[in-house]
Amino acid sequence: MLIIVTDLSVRAGGRTILDRVGLAIGAGEIVTLIGPNGSGKTSLLKAMLGLMPAKGRIERKPGLRVGYVPQNFPRDRSLPITVGRFLRLHAKQDDARAALERTGVAALEPRQLSALSGGELARVLLARAVATRPELLVLDEPLAGVDVAGEAALYHLIAELRDETGCGVLLVSHDLHVVMAQADRVVCLNGHVCCEGRAEQVLKDPAFEELFGTRTAAELALYAHRHDHSHHTGSA
Amino acid sequence: MDDFLLRAGLGAGLLGAAAGPLGCFVLWRRMAYLGESIAHMGLLGAAIGLLIGISPLVGVSVLAVAAALVMARAGDDLIPAGTFVGIVGHVGLALGFVLLASMETVRTDLLGYLFGDVLALSNSDLIGIGAAALGILGGTALFWRAWLSAAVNGDIARAEGRASRVADIAFLVLVALLTAFGLRVVGALLIVALIIIPPAAARPFARTPEAMAIIAAVIGALTAPLGLSLAWWKDIPAGPAIVLAAAAMFALSMLAERVRR
Repeated sequence: MLIIVTDLSVRAGGRTILDRVGLAIGAGEIVTLIGPNGSGKTSLLKAMLGLMPAKGRIERKPGLRVGYVPQNFPRDRSLPITVGRFLRLHAKQDDARAALERTGVAALEPRQLSALSGGELARVLLARAVATRPELLVLDEPLAGVDVAGEAALYHLIAELRDETGCGVLLVSHDLHVVMAQADRVVCLNGHVCCEGRAEQVLKDPAFEELFGTRTAAELALYAHRHDHSHHTGSA
Repeated sequence: MDDFLLRAGLGAGLLGAAAGPLGCFVLWRRMAYLGESIAHMGLLGAAIGLLIGISPLVGVSVLAVAAALVMARAGDDLIPAGTFVGIVGHVGLALGFVLLASMETVRTDLLGYLFGDVLALSNSDLIGIGAAALGILGGTALFWRAWLSAAVNGDIARAEGRASRVADIAFLVLVALLTAFGLRVVGALLIVALIIIPPAAARPFARTPEAMAIIAAVIGALTAPLGLSLAWWKDIPAGPAIVLAAAAMFALSMLAERVRR
């Protein structure tokens, strides 16, 4: 196992955001986190990475190399830096170039980081994380702003990288196609782990079935699913 | 040229050169308020120095570093870090004034504290400023990678284990040192100008962070001879003249950027 969290609880602003969550990610495994807005997906990632105070146990493989793509990346025009230099901050020149090739943005290498479009930035951030040769890739909605065709190709790339390098992947995504096609394991989160398993299993879960039964509504509110059990993570 | 002018030029030039690259990080990390609060704390340091009979500069340096370390603890998200740092700085300023007022036998040069006294630098002052400038430039080079990673994106740096507590503290300590020595040159009210104007003026001409730091160092160093010439020619106070020289270079830089576009 690369990282194991047990009984992880996060409180913020007097509210319990995560309540005794357990999660483990092994090498060569793609784990996708899904859940409605405010269900604690990003908080779980941040707590696991030490970016947010949390209660509970977090065990990491000693010396674990993490590659992280955050949900938000505020661009700063006062800091002049090219895409190439940005990647080479943490990666070797050859790895940086190869990663930019693979995410389809090799041509952006001499451009200023602050001048990229949203979709271009998403590809560059993924390339940077990949170029650092991580053992665990942590991706928080990494492809926001990427066009539909590009999105499919990039998710395919993530699976390819897993096959090649044997890295583990923890992914937060809103795209159900990805959940079905690429994830080895799907974790449905709503303050706690609601259901978890292989995509096929989770698809049969009543909570998940609900999601697919109301497909049209699901397009608008993908995760407004009803559950067969109650939640106790309100204001505690 | 008179000796005192040479000392002033060397002292202000060395400090300006050291302020440029460090100031880039102050700009990138949006931490101008930090220098201001440390400078406010400096008055308390100077007062304590006078009270216990050590050099005010030593008092200022020690207290500035201590204040920077207290400010590093600012992390409570109910109150923004900048507000917390501002509170600490103003408490220092108020305590400093109270302490000075209570020492009836000591007459302090408040104007010198507020606007600097670069024309009165002694040889030992100059050696101190030179050592501080070298230390700041060396430290900036040493921690360059870590600071740059944090400036580009702090979350990524921390998540990937590239952030270091030592580098964070070193940054605050060096800003404190720069501020403490800057008090002698341009004073508490103007030191932040010397930290942020040269990097701001350098920005339009840089495509890499390294280029911006080097250009900022050159601009920072040039403010000294330009400012002192202005002070000599127009018979105005030296500290404010140095800041006006920096501002003139910033204005030229903005103009050049407009013309180029």
